[in-house]
Amino acid sequence: MRILGENGAGKSSLLKVIVGVISPLEGTIVYSGEDVTLDRAPLLQDAIYIGHSVGVKSLLTVAENIRRYCPTVSPEALSAVLKKLDLLDHMNAFASTLSAGQLRRVALARLWLTDKTLWLLDEPFAALDSTAIALLEERIRLHVSSGGLVVLTTHQALRSLPCRDVALMS
Amino acid sequence: MTYTSFLVSEFLLLWRRKQDVINALLFFVIVVTLFPLGVSSSAEFLAPAAGGIIWCAAVLAIMMAVEGMFKEDFRDGSLEQWVVSGLSLPILVLLKVVAQWLVVIVPLLAMMPILSEMLYLSDASFWVLIMTFLLGTPSLFLIGVIGAALTVSLRQGAMLVMLLILPFYLPVIIFSTLAIQAADAGLPYSGQLALLLAMSLLSLILSPFMAAIAIKASAG
Repeated sequence: MRILGENGAGKSSLLKVIVGVISPLEGTIVYSGEDVTLDRAPLLQDAIYIGHSVGVKSLLTVAENIRRYCPTVSPEALSAVLKKLDLLDHMNAFASTLSAGQLRRVALARLWLTDKTLWLLDEPFAALDSTAIALLEERIRLHVSSGGLVVLTTHQALRSLPCRDVALMS
Repeated sequence: MTYTSFLVSEFLLLWRRKQDVINALLFFVIVVTLFPLGVSSSAEFLAPAAGGIIWCAAVLAIMMAVEGMFKEDFRDGSLEQWVVSGLSLPILVLLKVVAQWLVVIVPLLAMMPILSEMLYLSDASFWVLIMTFLLGTPSLFLIGVIGAALTVSLRQGAMLVMLLILPFYLPVIIFSTLAIQAADAGLPYSGQLALLLAMSLLSLILSPFMAAIAIKASAG
C-alpha cells in the first residue's frame, strides 16, 4: 500500500500514528480486527517501522548496528545481506563514515533479516541509487507475495511493484 | 531489538564516547582540587568540609553526564525505534541509566581515596562517604533522567534541565553531608543512610515511568 500526498500532507505523521509514536487526535486504529489505539503491543509485535531518521548509531559499526536490531543473526546471514547491499567492505566501519544512501541501506538491511509481517516504511527510497531501489522493490515484492503487508510513503514512481494507492488531501 | 542487545550496544556506545565521561570526571577532580588551593589547605578547614566539597563536585559532574543522555538517540531516530520496538520503554530507560551509572560511578569511587586523603577526611568518615555515594547517586541519575527526557527535543535544554532537577538533588546532598558530619562527630548516621536509600528506591520506581512518558511525548 502506497501513501501519496504533497509535502506536508501528513504521510509521515500517518505512519507515526499507526506505530504509536504520535497519538491520534481522533479515530481508532484497528489491527487484525482488534482495536489497538490504546495499546499498540499486538501491532508492534509484527511490525517494523523505519522512519526518516533511521535509528543508526554513528559510533557503532555497520555490523554492530544491524546486530543491535537483529541480535540473533548468524555471521553468514549477516555477510550475505551486507554483500547484497554492497556494504560488505564497510562491515567494520563506523556508521559516521557512511554516506546518506549507505546509512539508509544499513537501516533497510533489517528487512532481509526479519520475519515480521507488517512493514511501515517512510520514504524508503530516499537517497538510494537505482541498484538499491531495484533491490528494495524486489524485496518488497517477495515479502508481499509471501503474505506480508507493506505500507510505504514515496514520491517515487514504483517501477515493478503493483500497489494500492491512498492519497492524503492537505 | 532485545533488552540484551540494547544493553550491549549502550555499553559499546559509552565506551566509544568515553571522552564525555572523562570530561565529567576531570571536572569533578578539578573542582575538588580548587578548594585546598583557593580557600585554605589547613586540616581545620578541610576535614569538616570534605564531605560537602566532594558531594557538591560530584553532583555537578553527574548533572553534566546526565543532561544530554538522550540527545543523540533523539537526533538519530533511536528514540522512535525504542517506542516501536515493542519492548517496555521504562525498562529500556532503566537499562540505559544503569549503564550510565556504572560507567560514571566506578571511576568516581576509584578516585575517592586520593581525594579524601587530600581533604583530610578521616578513615571512618571515608567509608561513610563511600556508602552515601552508593546509596545516594542512583537517585541523582534517576531524577536527572526525567529532566533529560523532558528536554530532549529542545535545542538549548541544558540550563532548563539543571533548573528542573536541582531542587530534587538538594535533599540527597543534605542527607549525604549530614551522614558524613555525623560520622565525623561520632554520632549514629544510619538514619541519614536509610533516607538516602529510600529516595533512591522511590525514584527507582517512579522515574523510569515518568521518563518513558516524557520520551514518548518527545519522540513524536
